[in-house]
Amino acid sequence: MIFGMWDAVFFKLGPIPVDHLIVTQWAIIVVIGLIAFCATRDMKLVPSGLQNGFEMIITWTYDFFTQLMDEEHIAKKFAPLLSTFFLFILFSNYSGLIPGAAHIQGFQPPTSNWNVTVALALVTFCAVHFGGFSEHGAHYLKHFVSPSAAMLPLNLLEEITHPLSLTVRLFGNIFGEEMIIAYLLFMAPFLIPTALMGLSVMLGAIQAIVFTILSASYIAAATSAGH
Amino acid sequence: MGLIALGAGLAVSIAGLGGGIGMGVSGGKAIEAIARQPEVGGDVRTLMFITFAFIETLTIYGLLIAFMLVGKMTA
Repeated sequence: MIFGMWDAVFFKLGPIPVDHLIVTQWAIIVVIGLIAFCATRDMKLVPSGLQNGFEMIITWTYDFFTQLMDEEHIAKKFAPLLSTFFLFILFSNYSGLIPGAAHIQGFQPPTSNWNVTVALALVTFCAVHFGGFSEHGAHYLKHFVSPSAAMLPLNLLEEITHPLSLTVRLFGNIFGEEMIIAYLLFMAPFLIPTALMGLSVMLGAIQAIVFTILSASYIAAATSAGH
Repeated sequence: MGLIALGAGLAVSIAGLGGGIGMGVSGGKAIEAIARQPEVGGDVRTLMFITFAFIETLTIYGLLIAFMLVGKMTA
C-alpha cells in the first residue's frame, strides 16, 4: 500500500476485508445518526436547543443550494445528498484531530485514503448523470456533442476529470496535512504542531465545503436548461 | 536516489509556485471586488472558494507526485 499508513484488516465480511477505515466510517455514521436522533426525538413547533441548531443548518443549506443551482426543485432534490456529503466529510476530517488519535490504530481520518474519496467522488458522478437524465431525459446525451460533435472526446474527458479532481483534492489535502503534522510531531513533539493543528481545523471545514460546492455546481451544470 | 529526492522537491515547489501566484491574483481581485461592491460579498466569496479549489488541485497533483517519489525512494 503506497498511500495507507496501516493495513490492518480486522475481519472479513464475505469477500470484503473490513479494515480500520471502514470501522472509523461506521463510527462516524453512528455519531452523526445519534446526534440527528437526539435532535429530532422530541420535536416541537417552536424549536429550542439542538433542534433549533439543526433546523438552522437545514434552512441554511437549502437556501445556499437554491442560490447556487438557480432552480429550487433541483436544489430540494439534491440538498439532502449534498448536506450529507458535508457532514460526513467534516466529521471524517476532524476524526484525525481527536487527542491521542495518532497513537490508536484505526483513527486515521478516512478521507486521507484514496479509496474513500474515490467512493465519494463516484457518488457525485452518479448523482450528476442521474440528475441530468431525470431532468432532460434522452436529450441529456446531446450535451456531450455540444457545441459540435468534434467536442465529444473533450466532453467525455471532462466527465472523467471531474471525479478525479474531486478525489485527488480531498485526499491530497487531508493526507498532506496529516503527513505534515506527523513530520512536525517527529521533529518537535510539543507545542509546535498545535499551530498546524489549529490550521487543519479550518482546512478540514474548507475542504468539506469545497467538495460540497463543487458537487453542487457539477449537478447544477448537468441539470440546467441552458445546454 | 539523490535525483529522485530532487525531483520530489521540484515537483512540489514548482506546483506550489504556480498555485501561489494564481491564488494571489484571484484572491486579490476578489477582495477588490468585495471592497468596491460589498453587497455581492456572498456570491464573490463562493466563486472565490471554487476558484481556489481548482487552482489548488493542480498544486495537490504536484504534492501527490512528490509523495509517490518519496515513497519510491524509501521503498
